[in-house]
Amino acid sequence: MDIDVTQTSGVAVVAPRGDLDMATVDEVRRTLAGLIDGGQCRVLMDLGGVGYIDSSGMGAMVAAMKQARAAGGDVRLCALQDDVRGIFELTRLARAMSIHPTRQEALASWR
Amino acid sequence: MTPKAAGSTFSMTSEAENLVRLRKWLRDELAGHGVPKQEQPNILLAVGELCANSIQHAYEGKGGQPIQVSVRSSADSLVIEVEDFGKPFDAELYESPDLDSLPDSGYGLYLVKNIADSLSIDVARERGTRWTMVKYRQGRGPAAKRAQP
Repeated sequence: MDIDVTQTSGVAVVAPRGDLDMATVDEVRRTLAGLIDGGQCRVLMDLGGVGYIDSSGMGAMVAAMKQARAAGGDVRLCALQDDVRGIFELTRLARAMSIHPTRQEALASWR
Repeated sequence: MTPKAAGSTFSMTSEAENLVRLRKWLRDELAGHGVPKQEQPNILLAVGELCANSIQHAYEGKGGQPIQVSVRSSADSLVIEVEDFGKPFDAELYESPDLDSLPDSGYGLYLVKNIADSLSIDVARERGTRWTMVKYRQGRGPAAKRAQP
């Protein structure tokens, strides 16, 4: 899985591309933990390039979100494809996590 | 297109990397069985979760072990079976996740149960578990039939 990490206005933007399942989740988990452990606790996951996510992928987001919130930050999500958003809604994570339609709107939510 | 009724089976081994091949096969199967496009993602997810459960729990992460997925349909429903030959699923040990506490794991079977119209588990075999998931076609389930005059 390709994972792009960029810095924008003090926010680490993480953009994975491909399917996020138990075969690829460890890369995402390591990337998120590395950022937060390194003091970068404002993280935006741009999921526009993810067409499929399973429970392991969602678990990784929740774990990172809790770690970031404990450090005073957050993991927010943006650009979810409809199918992926539907899966977040099934687990109520759509309510617990901060989800935005676009990257710009998500970045603006931190200003 | 007339949906096909005959069943077909996909065989894989228990490496997580095989899940992407499973999804490709299942997408084609669901289309062939006339499952509407908007219903396909949840079914793909549910079947993926059952296979992930086999990989993680029945085979405890050990690769090279067999998993079979079969799909068949009728005018009323789609039936998908996922079968492994590892450690049987123990329903008594399963606890539904407390979603309000935002757990890091345990969403898989919760999702399957929410997506399936019916889910049964057969562990009364020499080895392994067979999950049978049923999805009724729109307006064809037992509730819809009871509502008919």
